[in-house]
Amino acid sequence: MVTDILGSADSASARAFIEAQGLAFEPGFDDLVGVFERGALVAVGARERDVLKMLAIAPAERGGGLLGALVTELARRASAAGHDALFVFTKPECVPSFEAMNFSLLASGGRAALLEHGRGLERYLEANRGAVREGANGAVVMNCNPFTLGHRHLVEEAARRVDTLYVFVVREDRSAFSFDVRLRLVREGTRDLQNVRVLDTSRYAVSAVTFPAYFLKRPGDAASIRLDLDLLLFAQRIAPFFHVRRRFFGTEPDCAVTRAYADGMHRVLPAFGIEAVEIARKEARGVAISASRVRAALRDGHVDGLEDIVPETTAAFLRSDEARGVRERLRAGGGRHA
Amino acid sequence: MTIARKAQAGTIQSSDLMVFVEPAAELVIEIESTVRRQFEHLIRAKIEEVLRRHGVTAGRVRVSDRGALDYAIQARVETALLRGAQE
Repeated sequence: MVTDILGSADSASARAFIEAQGLAFEPGFDDLVGVFERGALVAVGARERDVLKMLAIAPAERGGGLLGALVTELARRASAAGHDALFVFTKPECVPSFEAMNFSLLASGGRAALLEHGRGLERYLEANRGAVREGANGAVVMNCNPFTLGHRHLVEEAARRVDTLYVFVVREDRSAFSFDVRLRLVREGTRDLQNVRVLDTSRYAVSAVTFPAYFLKRPGDAASIRLDLDLLLFAQRIAPFFHVRRRFFGTEPDCAVTRAYADGMHRVLPAFGIEAVEIARKEARGVAISASRVRAALRDGHVDGLEDIVPETTAAFLRSDEARGVRERLRAGGGRHA
Repeated sequence: MTIARKAQAGTIQSSDLMVFVEPAAELVIEIESTVRRQFEHLIRAKIEEVLRRHGVTAGRVRVSDRGALDYAIQARVETALLRGAQE
């Protein structure tokens, strides 16, 4: 029977069990469950939101129903917590076991693999088939919290070098500006560029699933493995579908996590025939334009005087009544992307 | 019968299926199955039959199947419906 692992003694043995199976123990989960046989752990698994991880079965117990029992229980809890999707991080050699449970592979490389329950990626790509153009295309993945003249500069420069440029706006709603607003401001701010298509990333790029460090600042080995999987998913599944041959990004002067991601692009993408192209940040008054400068100004109560760092479309939104909620949230203070 | 809340039944073990139901404006049935290519139409027909028998005309029904036989499909779908039901 699958039971909660509670208490410090059981938690410590769960951790030792997970590490003995060659997995990294990552703190930060909503559920940690296991199966005990005669007082000893024989299976352990964890869930963080809609992501299953640290699933481990004792070697002598493999091939039976333990993995199915763990996944059933964790899937039940994920659904009860309101999650529709279900992802799993595992080792590449365990991929077939999950495929037999209707999971499909998103990306695999080196020491880790990422799968999702069902066929969400297939559906996502199919839904965007109308936006696909032949040619040597490019892509940018951006949060745009909110859209600035720096983003505009990157998009213009990139669009000039490809047939069609896809701008993927990060869907994850953990930023000061909601996804709907961020997407709209990118669309409005790039409307005049003929070869630019603005799409949403769904859960498949820079999401809490594929790249949690971006949202949570959780450094370490596990984060860097996931960063590689995010880029492998892009290179193996998304880029080929949209005929993307180049991925563009702005030079990152400050944030270590974003810089690690840029290094990852140089390291991972070329092997798949995708060029990683870094574009120097646009400056205003001698300082690189960034969305965090916009948020800092709003936090200080300055809505005007941002015209040299945001386009008119964004400026109009920031002045509008609709932005009152965002302005108030920022003034109240918040997390990393708040 | 109306699906009034999210509910689920079943397991993802071999020869079983897991059923998730939730309220929705229209009737939507989503099927994942390891034998989808061969048997999706039969699984769908069975689910539709159970829904019809219980007078369910709206809701989202998702199943993840691993080769369950008819009676298992019927039992799991019925259980999920009863758990999520409002008479």
